[in-house]
Amino acid sequence: MTEDEELVRRIRAGATDDYAELVRRHQSRVFAILHRYERDWQRVEDLAQETFFKAWRALAQFDGRAPFEHWVSRIAVRTALDHLRKETKHRKHDVALDDLGEDVLDWLHNDADRNELEAHSASEVLHLALRQLPPLDRAVIIQQELEGRNFREIAATLGTSVIAVRVRAVRARAKLRRALENLGAGPKPASRRRGTDPRPEI
Amino acid sequence: MNENKLQQLFTAARRETTPPPAGDFADAVLRAIRLAPAERLPDAFSLFDPLNRWGLRLAFASVAVIVLCASADLVMGAAGQPETDDAAAQVSTQYLMSVEDM
Repeated sequence: MTEDEELVRRIRAGATDDYAELVRRHQSRVFAILHRYERDWQRVEDLAQETFFKAWRALAQFDGRAPFEHWVSRIAVRTALDHLRKETKHRKHDVALDDLGEDVLDWLHNDADRNELEAHSASEVLHLALRQLPPLDRAVIIQQELEGRNFREIAATLGTSVIAVRVRAVRARAKLRRALENLGAGPKPASRRRGTDPRPEI
Repeated sequence: MNENKLQQLFTAARRETTPPPAGDFADAVLRAIRLAPAERLPDAFSLFDPLNRWGLRLAFASVAVIVLCASADLVMGAAGQPETDDAAAQVSTQYLMSVEDM
């Protein structure tokens, strides 16, 4: 029995406080997943709390066939997807293209630019483009390209077939490429502004 | 955007590190769980749970249906209509006759 399974067993037996330990063990992974879907750090925290709350409520269904980390990751992805669906319905975003900075816009405008983008800027660009895709397409791209999951794992997370994921991945990639081209085709900003880093300043 | 550039974007985005969660995040989760109304650690699902919840009502409903059928039968019999046991006897006789014919 793994340490996680032992913790789950104790929690089920009534040791509620031990759940905090389980959260501490997996919070980094859950935050990392959610941060791929939502850039606003405050919302990421809310979603992480929702994820662990759902995991608590479903703890009786954890059968230990997969590691607890995989199980809670799946809940995190579904929570993120629900969030994206609500966001698509209720919020209209304006793409803050000029918030990206001139270096990023130059990179986008110039197909021959061989300079590498800084990790945070790349994530911001990708996020802006992904926002133009339907939630499921976004989830497939994020899991395949950023989290390195294979089609079978993605299908299990999304509760769909491997073939459906394959087809969606091809289409989503084409849509993403078009979205990035549209970003790159936009006008260059006159002035450089600060980025939209959601992280707290140290 | 060409494939090479797209891959470059993915590679750079993969390198991004996520800031650590707040130090008291786990405690906040636990507080939220404790504050949630009518939420408790759920037990494993058992068939006896719905039976316990609905058993008494089901029993009363069954008794009511039986009483209703019996009284309907009595009323029909009193009114000169064939009763249920007459009909049952007729059906079994017809069945026996058809078996004998074969």
